[in-house]
Amino acid sequence: MQFLAPRTLDEALGMLSGRGGDLRVLAGGTDVMIQRMTGQLPRSESLLYIGGITDLAGVSRSDGTIRIGALTTHRDLCCDPVITTHLPSFAEAAATVGGWQTQAVGTIGGNLCNASPAADLAPPVLAAGAVMVVSGVDGPTRIPAERFFVDRRLTSLPEGQILLGIEVPEPPANTWESYLKVGRRGAMEVAQVGLAARFSVVDNRVETARLAVCSVAPAPLRLHRGEEALAGSTLDSGTVSAAARRATEEISPIDDQRASASYRRMMVGRLIMKAARLARRSLGMG
Amino acid sequence: MTQELSLEVNGIPARVEVDADEVLLDTLRDRLHLTGTKRGCDEGECGACTVIIGRTPVHSCIFPSLAAAGAQVRTVEGLAGGGGELSDLQRAFVDTAAVQCGFCTPGFLMTLTALLESEASPSDHEVDEAMAGNICRCTGYSAIRAAVRSVVGEGGA
Repeated sequence: MQFLAPRTLDEALGMLSGRGGDLRVLAGGTDVMIQRMTGQLPRSESLLYIGGITDLAGVSRSDGTIRIGALTTHRDLCCDPVITTHLPSFAEAAATVGGWQTQAVGTIGGNLCNASPAADLAPPVLAAGAVMVVSGVDGPTRIPAERFFVDRRLTSLPEGQILLGIEVPEPPANTWESYLKVGRRGAMEVAQVGLAARFSVVDNRVETARLAVCSVAPAPLRLHRGEEALAGSTLDSGTVSAAARRATEEISPIDDQRASASYRRMMVGRLIMKAARLARRSLGMG
Repeated sequence: MTQELSLEVNGIPARVEVDADEVLLDTLRDRLHLTGTKRGCDEGECGACTVIIGRTPVHSCIFPSLAAAGAQVRTVEGLAGGGGELSDLQRAFVDTAAVQCGFCTPGFLMTLTALLESEASPSDHEVDEAMAGNICRCTGYSAIRAAVRSVVGEGGA
């Protein structure tokens, strides 16, 4: 096996198109290196280290779109002023990924492409209606986030392609969003349940509601039925309780060493109720 | 297959042959014989292997050595001065008994050295957050926090 360290995207895409399946894209390594050492990924695969392609890191905002490069680290997301102002759920999610050492090298692109059922950045990305910008040698194409997460550790990223970054439409005025996570301790914890919630409000009524979750199904997902139940409401407690019940019909949690399926089901409902309460207060809905 | 790696370790240029998927912990311990950096969990959880790359603490047990090409790496061996005098933080660890078995200590020293370099007077909360990726099973953390506090002084936030 080889360690390839291209300096440009073109160089990287050329290597990937020539080598195909035996080349694993590597950024911060906080998932890939562990998966190699524990036999979850074959050690015969060569590594394509893209960490030197500095164009793929950073956050920018123009024409109503926020662009986040795939190599932007969790640490960078936590303190970037565009993110903390416009997409606070991304900063909150990034702050819950591991400790400083993990956040400093782990990237949003790695978190999304590794596609763990518990990927903390996936719910905010889904709730924000983000688009994944991917590229092979023929140039970039776009995949809606909802079509990106296919199954446990499986994405729709085509072979021979690299995630360049994501594009997020700037949220409308009067939008509240947050990432709420249940774990056994405050740091260094894989989510038992993670919820990204976003409510855009016009005249004290929810115009759009977005709910997305991780750790409750093989892949992170949107909770469309829960969202529909909240649309048009004032986030009153009756509507929210009903929406929380509907949302739990959409998930398929399992029992594992972190939590039981029934606990996860209950927590999804509780987090939705908590999000609605926080949003009402923050948006001055009484 | 081995590949050549050039980097700087504790201010000294080093050039070594490493395996293509070798991790920095193995390069430091087995090739450069800097055994102050410890192998704990070996999966990026416990922080015993923490070293500083540039200004950033990283878990060297899962950091690919070849990703450190051209980088400035600091290990616990680089903290003391040329005459062997301890850094202020190392001295504080001794004075406040922030060390019991000592296995986690090099990792804590590197994480907290990086913290003090980026934030001269961190609050207790910032200290706690910074060391969330380091596990100590002896001290209960309060003596470690006190060591940082004694370096920062009463003027700290």
